[in-house]
Amino acid sequence: MDTIKKLVLCAVIAVVTFGIGYKVSDAYFGNRTPAQPIEFSHKIHAGDNQIPCMYCHSYAERSRVSGVPNVKRCIGCHSVIKPDSPEIQKLKNYWENKEPIPWVKVYNLPDHVYFPHKRHIKAGLECQMCHGDVQSMDRITRVSSLKMGWCLSCHTRKKVKNGRDCWTCHI
Amino acid sequence: MKRRDFLKYLGSGIVGTGVGLAFGKVTKPPGAKLIPYLIPPEDVIPGVATWYASLCTQCSAGCGILVKVMEGRAKKIEGNPLHPVNKGRLCARGNAALQALYNPDRIKGPMKRTGERGSGKYKEISWNEAVSILGRNLSELDKNGATEGLYVLTSTLRGHLNTLIREFMSSYGSPNYMQYELFQHRNLIYANRVSMGLDAIPHYDIANTRYLLSFGADFSSTWLSPVNLSHGYGEMRQGGARRRGVLVQVEPRLSLTGANADEWVPVRPGTEGVLALSIAHEIVAGGYYKGADASSWKELLSGFSPEHAARVTEVDAGRIHHIAKEFVKTRPSLAIGGDNLSAYRDGLSCLVAVNILNHLAGNIGRKGGVVPNPAGLLKGRTGTELRKDRITALAKSALEGDVKTLIVYNTNPVFTTPAGVKLERALRNVPFIASLSSFMDETTAMADLILPSHTSLEDWGDDFAEPSTGVRVATLMQPAVSPVFDTRGAGDIFISLAKALGGKVGERLNYKGFPEYLKESWRKIYANNKEVAAGALTFDGFWNRLLEHGGWWQTEEPRHKPRSVSVRRVKAHIPTSPSEFEGDEGRYPLYLVTYPHAGYLDGRGANLPWLQEMPDPMTAVVWGSWVEINPKTARKLGIKQGDLVTVESPYGGIDLPAFLYEGIRPDTVAVPIGQGHRLYGRYAEKRGVNPIEILPVAEDKRSGELALNSTRVRLERKGADGKLVKMGVRTEELGRGIVQTITPEEFERIAGKEEA
Repeated sequence: MDTIKKLVLCAVIAVVTFGIGYKVSDAYFGNRTPAQPIEFSHKIHAGDNQIPCMYCHSYAERSRVSGVPNVKRCIGCHSVIKPDSPEIQKLKNYWENKEPIPWVKVYNLPDHVYFPHKRHIKAGLECQMCHGDVQSMDRITRVSSLKMGWCLSCHTRKKVKNGRDCWTCHI
Repeated sequence: MKRRDFLKYLGSGIVGTGVGLAFGKVTKPPGAKLIPYLIPPEDVIPGVATWYASLCTQCSAGCGILVKVMEGRAKKIEGNPLHPVNKGRLCARGNAALQALYNPDRIKGPMKRTGERGSGKYKEISWNEAVSILGRNLSELDKNGATEGLYVLTSTLRGHLNTLIREFMSSYGSPNYMQYELFQHRNLIYANRVSMGLDAIPHYDIANTRYLLSFGADFSSTWLSPVNLSHGYGEMRQGGARRRGVLVQVEPRLSLTGANADEWVPVRPGTEGVLALSIAHEIVAGGYYKGADASSWKELLSGFSPEHAARVTEVDAGRIHHIAKEFVKTRPSLAIGGDNLSAYRDGLSCLVAVNILNHLAGNIGRKGGVVPNPAGLLKGRTGTELRKDRITALAKSALEGDVKTLIVYNTNPVFTTPAGVKLERALRNVPFIASLSSFMDETTAMADLILPSHTSLEDWGDDFAEPSTGVRVATLMQPAVSPVFDTRGAGDIFISLAKALGGKVGERLNYKGFPEYLKESWRKIYANNKEVAAGALTFDGFWNRLLEHGGWWQTEEPRHKPRSVSVRRVKAHIPTSPSEFEGDEGRYPLYLVTYPHAGYLDGRGANLPWLQEMPDPMTAVVWGSWVEINPKTARKLGIKQGDLVTVESPYGGIDLPAFLYEGIRPDTVAVPIGQGHRLYGRYAEKRGVNPIEILPVAEDKRSGELALNSTRVRLERKGADGKLVKMGVRTEELGRGIVQTITPEEFERIAGKEEA
């Protein structure tokens, strides 16, 4: 009888801790450099060829989101530039099938945070301040923790007006 | 605990966590996706809203709205600040239009009935097939020379969709285009016609009046144009430096408007007309009326002395005299008569009596009084002929087999007519019914063919508000989002039907679609009306401005042209005695008042969860139905708050929870209209009861309109748990001084001091 009780307790503990482990796995094993559907290199585009960030992420200074370039914009150049490379063949496939490219989000904020790109660009911040040395990355790696302390440290350092007010970001 | 056991537990914990972490890593998706546009739509910036000016169709007020659209999805609706009707404000019903658009219970495409009628068994078909089925049906009628067998029943449309359907019907050869809604205000139009020759609903200038005498007009929540009139009420009370106006509300059940009044006159139901004429009697007897025909008025009103009226209406004679004096001496003053009044068997007469009051006090055609609107941009209205075009007439024709094919759009008569009309049975007799409804409701369930139409946020259209605001107002409706489902605009459906029919109809309605018809019609208005065209160089420029502003309206002050009511005209129409009620007074001792719920109106809003959640402004009840009973009456009958009660009229009974309400006469009970849908989507179905079912099939003696407020009922306690759900528990403030009050005189004194 006792043995069964102990076994059950063991099982319960294992199940509970399994749940906790499953839940927090992101925090410790979260991929900061996820594989993308196309091996797009920011190093080639933004680094070697000096294309400005906002040529592709064109909404950054006008909207909350910076925007991902639409497929038409990609194919616009790549119907001419290196059309035979295997990665660009992938792009071509998406375009011909009329499917958008399912990019994996690297910088993901929870819904209860209001983060406008527009304001940060207007304040004169460089994209690299948060997104790191993008022009040297082949595959994008998340360089910031995106935790609240990280936001606040910058808001405090730069003496942002109402920068420490809850309602500035949580509206 | 032994050390070995502890280690075992610790071990299983570590293993569990480890496996959990690993499992999570392997199975969880690698994070959210960023989906770009394939080809970006023009003018769309993700994260930045586009606002479209359009028209609200949640009730018939015709407010202008702005719809906030982000990435092609409608997110929020606000009032259009430029629009003269609602001036940037919007009510709860207007806000909830979003939930009609994205309602999960919308009909997602055309359907054909496969099972028994009313069984709800339908098969999805294509639009081509749907239109050709209806087209074939109409061609067959035409071939048999039975075009008059086509009936079209819609809500009270006023814009170019109305003209389109009229053109369709006349070129097809059927005179049977009808409009029906529960609160159609036809008696008000009839009363204005017979008393002052005004074939319309005028603008009631509450904003500029100083003494408002309202006979059961709940303009704060549902009457006529609630947003406009509520705004006017705010102006009357606190607008600028003017003196605060007085509101006197005459009604047996205290409405939201009544709760805001300075004085509540709980008149006996059905005697409002007598009370109004008694006030008129006092105006004439007191010598306040200076017209040349004063003596003939005196003669006409001789039977309405306050002493006599006091016995009938149970309003003190002194109070009648006081109201008369204040009403005629305060300038300007205004009397209005609401839905309560117009639904008596004497409805038309009661409203005529209210018009007499306005005439005697000289309020007609004056600022702060009754302001007739200028003739509209569109000529002609459907269905204001006395004694014609009634839902009872439709039921009769259907029973007699005259209705061969019925097309229903945007109205739900099976829900909104008393069970005694037997409309459902009559409709079973109609060989073919097509419904253009977006939702499966009680009427659509009778349809053989469903051609689901757009909701107002997906469609084109326009409206000419009535009542307007003393100026001409035209509001344009434009699609804010592309259609969510496989639906079509009602106008488009008629045009494609005309194409399928060909011949005379096809020739008359030879348009690509309804947007083209609408634009062409506006081109005509632009060409024929200098005032409309003023300031625009080309029609296209004008059209763009229409889309940008949400419509066209006059900007100048309304012109005031006095009108009068003559004794000769109203002689045959005044109420001589209290309205009659169904049900023997001994067996049915209580009057029943039914009123439109602030959220559901005539029941159309019941499928929108925001409105279901919205506490009723007077009782704070959510989600259900209730019957309001005076605590005194309840005590006598042994009924407690929340008890299940049967309300029985000679026409049937309904079971619903009791709400003890001090704001109702002890001899009256009240039930809100709107709940009790058998069908209408998951949020509306099987919730509360529909009081319309137990209303009598009585008609106004003079106009033939359905008289809803004309029955007595009896109450019986049925059980303890009526499932009354309400926000907040107490209606008393228990000496906490939450509501501070002062008398108007005191207020004047303080306000005067502050000014000095």
